[in-house]
Amino acid sequence: MILDLLPHLLHQAAFGAIAAVGFGVLFNFGLRALPWCAASGALTLAVRTLGQDAGWSLEAASFAAAFVTSCAVRLLHVRLGTASNAMALVGCIPMVPGSFFGQAMLGLFALTAPHLENAEPTIVLTMQYMLRVMFTVGAIGAGLAIPTHLLRTPDF
Amino acid sequence: MPEDLDPVALKHRELEQIAMVALRAARLMMESGGRAQVVRNCGAMVAVGLGAETVALRGGYASMEITVTSGINTSTRMIAVGRLGVNHRLDQAIRQLASRVAKGGMTIGETSEELSRLARTTPRHPAWFVAIAVGLACTAFGRLLGLDWPAFLPVLVAGGVGQYTRHTLLAHGTNPFLVAALIAFLSATIGGFGARLAGSAMVDLAMMASILLLVPGVPATNAQADIMDGYPTLGSAQAVSVIMVMVFAATGVLFAQALLGLRLRP
Repeated sequence: MILDLLPHLLHQAAFGAIAAVGFGVLFNFGLRALPWCAASGALTLAVRTLGQDAGWSLEAASFAAAFVTSCAVRLLHVRLGTASNAMALVGCIPMVPGSFFGQAMLGLFALTAPHLENAEPTIVLTMQYMLRVMFTVGAIGAGLAIPTHLLRTPDF
Repeated sequence: MPEDLDPVALKHRELEQIAMVALRAARLMMESGGRAQVVRNCGAMVAVGLGAETVALRGGYASMEITVTSGINTSTRMIAVGRLGVNHRLDQAIRQLASRVAKGGMTIGETSEELSRLARTTPRHPAWFVAIAVGLACTAFGRLLGLDWPAFLPVLVAGGVGQYTRHTLLAHGTNPFLVAALIAFLSATIGGFGARLAGSAMVDLAMMASILLLVPGVPATNAQADIMDGYPTLGSAQAVSVIMVMVFAATGVLFAQALLGLRLRP
């Protein structure tokens, strides 16, 4: 069964790594830190994909992925130093539901159209997108924050 | 007694300088994407390291205030905060400086000079390199969302062009919300048009993936972290700015959809 999942898992991990590296460059991480960004993004997306494949909701899988990544960078604190928090965060950026957020906004615009057709499905879809954004961002934030507060590592 | 010999006036002047240097360090850290708690600790470490006895620092979205005391002397100062971004290398450099100052042995002048040097010389990646990296990130985001392969290259180009243009507009001081709308329109148009030309069956998704560079992921997670750390005012302000950016970005996509003749739908 794991072999069936493997291509999808590798695909998600690889593109999670690429997205995290891209944002690492945007956030001005040094070149030597970029492989760590890639590892963080790959781990995050791998855990989220495993969670979703196990039937978890996007929010639950995102929480687990952020939590695992945040714990993992804490284990590597000696190697990463004070950059560990940032490394976990950049790994979680590919999970931020920006596409849902944009679609929710477009849904709100659609609801104010002068001749609205099929209002109910649009309302339901827009609300779903909006709630998914709120819960997923909340899940990522909580997943990152809980290990930070429990396993205190120095910020300086 | 002349003011330049009055020990109280001298102490007050020194405290004022300590306050301003601590504020500059905290401001740089905040503008580099630091969480409120870390920014506050940074300012406090610098102020105490330079000789203040107690420190109170309040970080707002657009300004910061600090009160430092030494004996019976107190100084309260405020500083404006610029556009909030993310600059990891500068953030790390300021943290190291704050640690050095906190250990003692650095003067106010040395700390101030070091802050100026870090702000001036901390390296940044060239704009073209960032544009390519962000283009790749957008197209990778697209693949994570299920984007088909024909749309891969158009989204990469759209994200890269969008990032380079955003960099140019922000460097000219254009309002960041206006930039979000303009870049969303530009990138969504390029991504959507290119995906259509390339035979993609997912033009809508290609347009959305092309604008994902605009999603303020760090401010969104910082907002929550700040509220959890006990800074709800700053956290709420960050959350509102995130929503505003997305409203403007969605407006840009809306115009791009109209231009490409796509029906308005979520």
